[in-house]
Amino acid sequence: MENCFEIENLNLYYGEKQALKNLNLSIRKNCVTALIGPSGCGKSTFLRCLNRMNDLIEGCRIEGKIMIQGVDIYDPKTNVVDLRTKVGMVFQRPNPFPMSIFENVAYGPRCQGIKDRRILKEIVENSLKQAALYEEVHDRLHESAMGLSGGQQQRLCIARAIAMEPEVILMDEPTSALDPIATSKIEELIEELKKSYSIIIVTHSMQQASRVSDDTAFFLLGEIVEMDTTRMIFNQPKDKRTEDYITGRFG
Amino acid sequence: MNVTKKQQRQRTLKDAFLNGLTAFSSMLSVLVLTILLGYVFSKGIGLVNVDLLRNQYWSKSAIVAVEEGTQSGTFERPEDLPKEAVWSEKWGIALIDAVSHEKQALVLVERVDENSVFAATVDTSAGPNQGKSYPVVPGLQVQKIDFTDQQGNANFTGMLASETAEEMVHALDQAVSIRSVFIKTPGGGIRGSLIATLYLIFVSLLFALPIGVASAVYLNEIAKKNRFNGLIRSGIETLTGVPSIVYGLMGVSVLFPITAAFGATTTNILLGSLTLAIILLPTIIRSTEEALLVVPQSLRDASLSLGASETQTIFKITLPCAIPGILTGVLLSIGRIIGESAALIYTMGTFINDSPSLLSQGTSLAVHIWSVMSGEQPNFELACAISILILVFVLILNLTVKLISRRLNKAWY
Repeated sequence: MENCFEIENLNLYYGEKQALKNLNLSIRKNCVTALIGPSGCGKSTFLRCLNRMNDLIEGCRIEGKIMIQGVDIYDPKTNVVDLRTKVGMVFQRPNPFPMSIFENVAYGPRCQGIKDRRILKEIVENSLKQAALYEEVHDRLHESAMGLSGGQQQRLCIARAIAMEPEVILMDEPTSALDPIATSKIEELIEELKKSYSIIIVTHSMQQASRVSDDTAFFLLGEIVEMDTTRMIFNQPKDKRTEDYITGRFG
Repeated sequence: MNVTKKQQRQRTLKDAFLNGLTAFSSMLSVLVLTILLGYVFSKGIGLVNVDLLRNQYWSKSAIVAVEEGTQSGTFERPEDLPKEAVWSEKWGIALIDAVSHEKQALVLVERVDENSVFAATVDTSAGPNQGKSYPVVPGLQVQKIDFTDQQGNANFTGMLASETAEEMVHALDQAVSIRSVFIKTPGGGIRGSLIATLYLIFVSLLFALPIGVASAVYLNEIAKKNRFNGLIRSGIETLTGVPSIVYGLMGVSVLFPITAAFGATTTNILLGSLTLAIILLPTIIRSTEEALLVVPQSLRDASLSLGASETQTIFKITLPCAIPGILTGVLLSIGRIIGESAALIYTMGTFINDSPSLLSQGTSLAVHIWSVMSGEQPNFELACAISILILVFVLILNLTVKLISRRLNKAWY
């Protein structure tokens, strides 16, 4: 099976402190990869490396290679704006822009220079349908997105990411601010989305990882302890620390 | 722990003293403010009316002549005429005694019958309007009326002879024909200063707002956070504290040549506006920076993760979200413009101009107060009346600022 990301010898430093230590892994295409581990283990940091959101943080230094379609994303020649259209991101807290639902989804395409109202409308409708939100909001597309519920806002953020037709969608604990019903809706959505996109999801919930993911990587203190199919990780972990973590002995 | 009665009593006393001190201080400040406002309102409220806003400050004089042939008649006193007004049945004009804001006795025209000779007078003063119709209308001051009496002698009556309305009407009854009237338009209004203040607000914001917002965006969003930029930032902060009179000095020496290039020959409103724009810059930069700081980082992250460039993020997301905060800064700036006087005395002069233009001298409302108070006979009433207007305006501005910032806090989350 094809890989969407190949990571070689990735090291990341915040100033003097090393946050990621010599990571080597590949992430499969059209699969859901879950990143688990205790707080501060570097899983979110790693996720933000994949679309270079760490560029914004001062004193952050990265070594090693992250290859997507055979190109190193940290190569000086790589255009970071292009990269982010290929690698979308959904954040921990729903963060819709304070504008209408339509404008939220149309924002990305507009930034790429698409002005034709008809094309934009089509993109917005398709994205909302894919994010399973269209039915709920089709009659109020031009009302403020701030009026939606938390779960709806998060699905809007997913729709917004889908509108860019990315290869990969990164999700940084997308359900941690949501109630169980909204969470299950997002999980169903992830199941649906993996047919068309590769998804990498950071989660604190063991159950969520086992429910939605195909592969799981266990992070501890900036290192990958173990990475395998989710079934293997949860049933026959090779490392003692993985077993301790997933059985709830620490973390 | 053993606490003696004495220690307890001492503590109670100390607490009472400190509490009393704070209460006394706040009472004192409230009292002082109330007295101040009370003084301004009681002194000035009598003058606050539409005429104050509408009238010119300087009164204009004119001598109008009665056309040959038109003469007296019998006019009935209108029923709705106020009791104090004195009606001349022979000439169809009502006069009334009044006191000017400078405490001088005046005789004003209260009513003119449409068939009266006074309604068909022409301007005789030299100038472009000579020979044109200039009817005597209510509100004008009557300085002097020249007439011919029954013996055929030229005679006159009016304020110049210190006569009251009653005496004037009485004198007119003796007249056979009216020759000319010396009239004065009412003065003491602040129309010119009001217009000049609006000019100031508009022109200075026109310069200060775009430059201020743009530099705040640069400092806060684009520039790297290094020592040099920190220095610029604290420099700007220092500029907020510089006394405005220093800016005025700089305006008149550095900026005057710029306005001279546009054809200014004296200090002028444009010069004042440019100086004010510089005074406002630090305020606008600061408030814009603060508004930008409260825009959640998550919105910027979301925009960037959607493939927007950093510039697109700034102009499509961050800046629009900061608009309420920027607006607050604008309103504060308007308050500053209205209150400014020291820098404007240098740069715009103190001549109260009834028809100000960008390149002429003029006074803002605050300088108008300075102007009427700095003469040999300070005019407290007018100064207080203008103060009331300024206070009301500033109050409205402050309430708007509060309203906007409350909205701002509601906008997210």
